[in-house]
Amino acid sequence: MESIRGKAAIVGIGEVPTGIYPERSLIEAAVTAAEMAIRDANIPKEDVDTVIPILVVANNIDNANMICSQMVEELGLGRTAKANFLVGSGGSSSANALKVAMGLVTTGLSKAVLVIHSDRMGSGLDLALAIQQFASVAISPEYESPYGFSQLGLAGFLQQRYMYDTGTTERQIASVVETLRKWAALNPNAMMKTPRTADEVLESKVISSPVRKRMMNKLGDGAAAFIVTTAERAREYTDTPAYVLGVASRCTNFSVTQGQWDGFQLWKGAARDAYEMAGITVGDIDVAEIYDAFPTFILMSMELLGLCGPGEAGKFFEEGHAAPGGKLPISTNGAMMAQGHTGAGGGVAILVEAARQVMGKAGERQVEDANIVVETASGGIGMDFHVGVLGREV
Amino acid sequence: MSEYTLPLPVMTTLSKEYWDGCKAERLLYQHCRNCDEVIFFPKYLCPNCMSHDLEWLQSSGRGKILTFTVTYESAPPAFYAAVPYAVAIIELEEGFRMMSNLVECDFEELECEMPVEVVFDAVTDEVTLPKFRPAAK
Ligand SMILES: [Zn+2]
Repeated sequence: MESIRGKAAIVGIGEVPTGIYPERSLIEAAVTAAEMAIRDANIPKEDVDTVIPILVVANNIDNANMICSQMVEELGLGRTAKANFLVGSGGSSSANALKVAMGLVTTGLSKAVLVIHSDRMGSGLDLALAIQQFASVAISPEYESPYGFSQLGLAGFLQQRYMYDTGTTERQIASVVETLRKWAALNPNAMMKTPRTADEVLESKVISSPVRKRMMNKLGDGAAAFIVTTAERAREYTDTPAYVLGVASRCTNFSVTQGQWDGFQLWKGAARDAYEMAGITVGDIDVAEIYDAFPTFILMSMELLGLCGPGEAGKFFEEGHAAPGGKLPISTNGAMMAQGHTGAGGGVAILVEAARQVMGKAGERQVEDANIVVETASGGIGMDFHVGVLGREV
Repeated sequence: MSEYTLPLPVMTTLSKEYWDGCKAERLLYQHCRNCDEVIFFPKYLCPNCMSHDLEWLQSSGRGKILTFTVTYESAPPAFYAAVPYAVAIIELEEGFRMMSNLVECDFEELECEMPVEVVFDAVTDEVTLPKFRPAAK
């Protein structure tokens, strides 16, 4: 079968600031982000004939309303839309939605697909319920729940083993936070723009060893959107399409206990396949937009992506190579650690940021010559790993 | 004995067989008679060959810490009063992995790959939780 390398493109992006916005309804944020994406793409809205809302975590009625075509009505697409359906795989919903959208447009089933995420993890969810949710989802009720594990524990498990295996220091892990805050300072949509040094991270108390308080993300409200169409149509709408050159993924487990405790060897296949589809080697990558949730996952992902050798990622961050002005900018929106955690939206935000860099629309944090940008996502409690490659040229 | 307030495992026809084993202080895991696969968490069919010909075997209860975390704050609500406590993934010598708590130990001395052995904690009349402590030297 013919490859769909470069046959689809992201032509428009939209995003509202992430933060605590009790007055901003979920649907207001969604409509704002969607409108921005439509205007950014310079696309007649009638051409958007499929809407893919992303899983809403904070409120199951909002989630159901998104499933039931609320966005089609809000955007006035009812005369022309063919389909509205949810894509949900937690943090990797972005990557799965991109794949579905690519399939729809390249087969001619859709002209253009709007992917829209909006959630109110910051103000639409009470804290006790939020903690309860993070203590139950993707945790085996038969064999894990009696032991007090939560999704925060995942960060502890991974960091503990990663430090043991690689000799990465706590300070190196803290330097990831420092770096992401530097990027966030340049991102008007980020929640945590104030600088944070590695030393300040290390001064904070241990919450779930070896993870310290300032190595944890914060929940926020947010919304982001992107529009996918064919490469041919893309050139009619915009001068700055972000072509999708490669996508690949691996889905390996439900529970953390039965996860990939061998350095995630299977997940390396996702990077290999994505690069092969894109026809690139790791040396071609100009920017890496890496999904986080917590700092260790960025370090591990760098090694999975082949961006550095085993155990070298922490040093890379500590030496400033991933920061603004560094030799390989990483997670230039600040990722969830600094832009904020919006439920399933962390992956959408990082994918939108990848497109933004390729389109040359990243403002103060724009990386010069961002011709090839790689991006990642992971859902559940480390259940899957997705790699995408976007480019300025096919 | 005060009332036990932490979450108890959900009992299904399958998980009940495992938890009945724990109640009898036997740590059980599944084995596929067709392809010899070691299976845990318990499954309805062999994840390797899809056979239904599965049997329960008893583990020695000896293994090692694959990884762990000691929770001091931000525990799930039911565990607020239980902090600090240690959660770990244990790799048993038969080759399967399970989640558990580390007990009878100094949290400061825990490390990955440390040998551990099972101890059974009868938390209610019905439920006994397998937990792990550093192995006797
Ligand atoms: Zn079998």
